[in-house]
Amino acid sequence: MDKIQYGKFNFSKENWEKDFGLLSKALDASISGIIITDNTQPDNPIIYCNQAFEKISGYQRHEIIGHNCRFLQKDDRGQQARSILKNAVEKGIECTVDIRNYRKNGDLFWNELYMSPIKDEAGNVTHFIGVQNDVSARKKAEQDLRQQQDQMERVIQERTLELRDNEAFLSSIIQTVRESLLVLDPKFFVVSANTHFLKTFKVNAEETVGKHLYDLGNHQWDIPQLKELLISILPTNNPVEDFEVEHDFPHIGRKLMLLNAYRVELEGQYKDQILLAIEDITDRREIERRKDDFLSIASHELKTPLTTIKGYIQALERMAPKESSDKFKTILGKTAVYVERLNTLIAELLDVSRIQTGNIELHKAPFDFDKMVVDSVEAIQSAAQQHTIIVKGESGVRLWGDESHIIQVVNNLVSNAIKYAPDSNEVLVYISRISDYVKLSVTDYGMGISQEDQKKVFERFFRAGDIQQRFPGMGIGLYICDQIIKNHEGTLWVESEKGKGSTFSFTLPIKEGDLDAE
Amino acid sequence: MPNKKILICDDDEGILDMLELILEDTGYTIIPEKNSLNIKHLIEDQLPDLILLDLWMPVLSGDQVLRTLRKNPETMHLPVIVISASREGKQIAAEAGASAFISKPFDFDELIGTIKHYLN
Repeated sequence: MDKIQYGKFNFSKENWEKDFGLLSKALDASISGIIITDNTQPDNPIIYCNQAFEKISGYQRHEIIGHNCRFLQKDDRGQQARSILKNAVEKGIECTVDIRNYRKNGDLFWNELYMSPIKDEAGNVTHFIGVQNDVSARKKAEQDLRQQQDQMERVIQERTLELRDNEAFLSSIIQTVRESLLVLDPKFFVVSANTHFLKTFKVNAEETVGKHLYDLGNHQWDIPQLKELLISILPTNNPVEDFEVEHDFPHIGRKLMLLNAYRVELEGQYKDQILLAIEDITDRREIERRKDDFLSIASHELKTPLTTIKGYIQALERMAPKESSDKFKTILGKTAVYVERLNTLIAELLDVSRIQTGNIELHKAPFDFDKMVVDSVEAIQSAAQQHTIIVKGESGVRLWGDESHIIQVVNNLVSNAIKYAPDSNEVLVYISRISDYVKLSVTDYGMGISQEDQKKVFERFFRAGDIQQRFPGMGIGLYICDQIIKNHEGTLWVESEKGKGSTFSFTLPIKEGDLDAE
Repeated sequence: MPNKKILICDDDEGILDMLELILEDTGYTIIPEKNSLNIKHLIEDQLPDLILLDLWMPVLSGDQVLRTLRKNPETMHLPVIVISASREGKQIAAEAGASAFISKPFDFDELIGTIKHYLN
């Protein structure tokens, strides 16, 4: 008992039995499992265990005493912790290991084992004290944490890959599109340029990216219209679409470009960067021009023989003897009508092509609006004996516009009024001046147009379903009228009731400088 | 009615024939010409009272002919009616100094009316 006296307890010889009992109660009160092994005996058997050790291991004292500690490892012998233990036992040093142990019922628990040697005066290890704590909960938490970390890492890796994929995908799209794309920073320095830009403008990435837009290619991008777009227009009109810029580039020549500009408004690292899409429409315009030229020539060439035919028909009509049969006169009359229709079709074909390409040329000059209407109506009246066309009202305005185009509209509206009201005999043309507009209305008392079709009659190639059989046509007459009126900054509209008739009206603005007709 | 002369210049023979035929009953003398290069000579030679002139003609176009005529004091006031199937014809004719413009295909009454207007 000498050794015990070295401790903090001040045991007396009289009380040692009582004191020892106190000490072992203290050990039993510990929540850590505590064992003592005897290193002087073969295989270092356990000679003491406290209650906590019984609880942790699930074995009872009589099943523990006399065993080597390894019985707790069951068949799980490959652990690294074991070799650390073995080494400590051999060298007689202390150590701490986390080791997988198994309870009596076979359940695994993580044992945090602190092992410390006890030595005699000669330095020989006589005993080992083992203190054990069941750290399964902590181990599990650690493991869960590690698993979560692993999973998080995996997700991050996947996301990163996805992002990289996405970026590569987007970038491949940007590089593939047949449109030049530039990204500019807020000060108009080039952040990036796609392949098509580099190819079209014959530059390389090094001399483009990081440079100021206006400095590119020896200042060839220092274009006043482009500056206007970026400095004056874009800040207040975002995005800007279809902004046309024409420029003569030193090396690649004259280019007609259609620009779309978009300033990033989203907060973040891209804010105020400018995306500039540049479409080279030089070739397209050239093709359109050639098509218009071709159609122009074709229509001229088609009209030449038509002129001859019409001339002969008119000659025949004049030469026809008074006593010639009705059938003869009807045939001549019908031939004239169809020649006229062919003439209209040829003209419309050319008009549509030009309207589509925006190449319709207006030759504006002042003209007497009322006289123009009266003359047009007279010409139609002479050919339409069945109908009476009544002109009412006056505007008294000399209008600034392309008279031949406005005549075309009047002709079209009045001809339609006759064409689509075959069973009525009156067409009313009403001229008026309202505020700073002239207004013309053409009213017929014919078949009318359904509400649904009213919205579509000004569309190109629209034909109301029920009239195609009776009144063949291409469906471009009203489309052309609408475009002509729009080209004169006016409005064309229709009011109609099915079965009762229609009124087509247009207004044209009277500009300052348009003189009142004398 | 005094026998007035009308010079018609159009590179299309069909139109020339037709015009000659429909105008011959009107009592005018018709001088048809296919080649615009001959106009100058014909004017000097035949002294027409009025010219019906096409616009699109090979080598020398109608408006070129017209401009030359308008520069010459002798022909400055000669009535020239331009007849064309071209949509821009009216504008071109007016700028070149045409007396009147009639679009192809034309209306017989309109043509006769215009001719009479300038010959009376």
